[in-house]
Amino acid sequence: MEFVNPEGLRLDGRRPMEMRQLRAEIGAVARADGSAVFEMGNTKVIAAVYGPREVQNKSQQSNDQALVRCEYTMANFSTGDRKRKPKGDRRSTEISLVIRQTMEACILTHLMPRSQIDIYVQVLQADGGTRSACINAATLALADAGIPMRDLVTSCSSGYLNSTPLLDLNYLEDSAGGPDVTVGFLPKLDRVTLLQMDAKLPVDIVENVMQLAIEGCKAIATYIREVLLENTKQLEYRRGL
Amino acid sequence: MVGLSLGEKHFIKGGIDQNIRSDGRKRDYYRPIFVETGVIPQANGSARVRMGATEVIASVKAELGKPSALHPDKGKVAIFVDCSAVAEPTFEGRGGEELSAELSVALERCLLGGTSGTGAGIDLTSLIVAEGKICWDLYIDSLVISSDGNLLDALGASIKAALANTAIPKVNISAAASADEQPEVDISDEEFLQFDTSAVPVIITLTQVGRHYIVDATSEEESHMSSAVSISVNRKGHICGLTKRGGEGLDPSVVSDMISVAQHLSELLMSRLDSEISAAEAEIGDDEES
Repeated sequence: MEFVNPEGLRLDGRRPMEMRQLRAEIGAVARADGSAVFEMGNTKVIAAVYGPREVQNKSQQSNDQALVRCEYTMANFSTGDRKRKPKGDRRSTEISLVIRQTMEACILTHLMPRSQIDIYVQVLQADGGTRSACINAATLALADAGIPMRDLVTSCSSGYLNSTPLLDLNYLEDSAGGPDVTVGFLPKLDRVTLLQMDAKLPVDIVENVMQLAIEGCKAIATYIREVLLENTKQLEYRRGL
Repeated sequence: MVGLSLGEKHFIKGGIDQNIRSDGRKRDYYRPIFVETGVIPQANGSARVRMGATEVIASVKAELGKPSALHPDKGKVAIFVDCSAVAEPTFEGRGGEELSAELSVALERCLLGGTSGTGAGIDLTSLIVAEGKICWDLYIDSLVISSDGNLLDALGASIKAALANTAIPKVNISAAASADEQPEVDISDEEFLQFDTSAVPVIITLTQVGRHYIVDATSEEESHMSSAVSISVNRKGHICGLTKRGGEGLDPSVVSDMISVAQHLSELLMSRLDSEISAAEAEIGDDEES
């Protein structure tokens, strides 16, 4: 199947290095300490952060840092075919772990000992790149909750089909059987914090594809910064400053 | 949820007694309701409803299936509620299962009628494609995103809005099929039938706090209810289902009074929802045209 046609357009009309449309909204869940909705094309994800708060399970409490917990769930209606079991399946558990490790690395946990930070991510619509959308949403939610972080974590995926590196795969491109590289990146510190790849890729192409994903991450970071700035201006305005 | 002090509890109860609640509402006022339809493009119908800080999303997916042998002329509807951890940290893992099950069953009771399918708010006979062989199975999935009390009413409203947004594809059956063969079906991609929601009821929950009952309780108010009665009423003012929750007993006269209050309030809620839903649907129409 042709994923990049001779004119250089992908299945949804994008160019190979073009990302899908981004949209973010902060403060979607009123009861949470911090929350955000993040959309990358048709993938829509909502994240809520509760914390820092008292540790529920004393045996897991740590005296010198905060405990970070994460749960990733997909809504019943998020995929094309109805999912029967939204939680507890292996893929969800793995992604929960991945998001937790990524966020834990950038939260300044030593500033909040003996406390717990819960990150809940719910996928409302899945169209490829849910992992990345979740990490981006979690970053926004953590910022909304005022939790101190080393840097904003942004994430983007890239792949390699029809001998072309592609940025930000959607579901069709993801399930094509080509490689799917997910990168989590700290833009200010210029460090890669998450790197996952499946399927095969020639060694000399890996660098290229990874670099493309990193560029995507930087673009998302710029967008996230804009959104946060706009949100702060709104808060200032509401406070009458 | 952080516990309430004795002073706060007295304040809430006293306010309700004086017909002024903590957010300034009277006992029979609903919070502002916002409806947005068509939020899940890959579903046949969907809606997102916000009542104050309570927010739920409902989606309707239609799949072809076989009607049950007991009711060969009726389609099937299943309602599932999922309480997301995003709404409450206590819903993490399996924590929200009990509440989800309770809400699913209450919704099925209010909207689907008895076990024989009679008296259902949703007309099951309209889902039949080929009697005895093929019918539409409607799967209604609801997700609670933000929980600030009165989940049942919000879920009922979201399901009504999602059904109003539902478009079921037209099915063409090949005529030449013998009695025991499965007929061939051709699901149309172009033509759709809008689902008829004129008979779908709304759910009104009356929560008793102290000596009075309030409508659309916030989670603060719900935390010291003595009992709550959820009544589903349809457009004609007929009662479609009733659920009582809470440990305290209710005097039968109080229950009759609650029912008449609910019937009166249902007219207001129904008209409000109808105008919100048509506004939301009109917005989608505008977006498609522009």
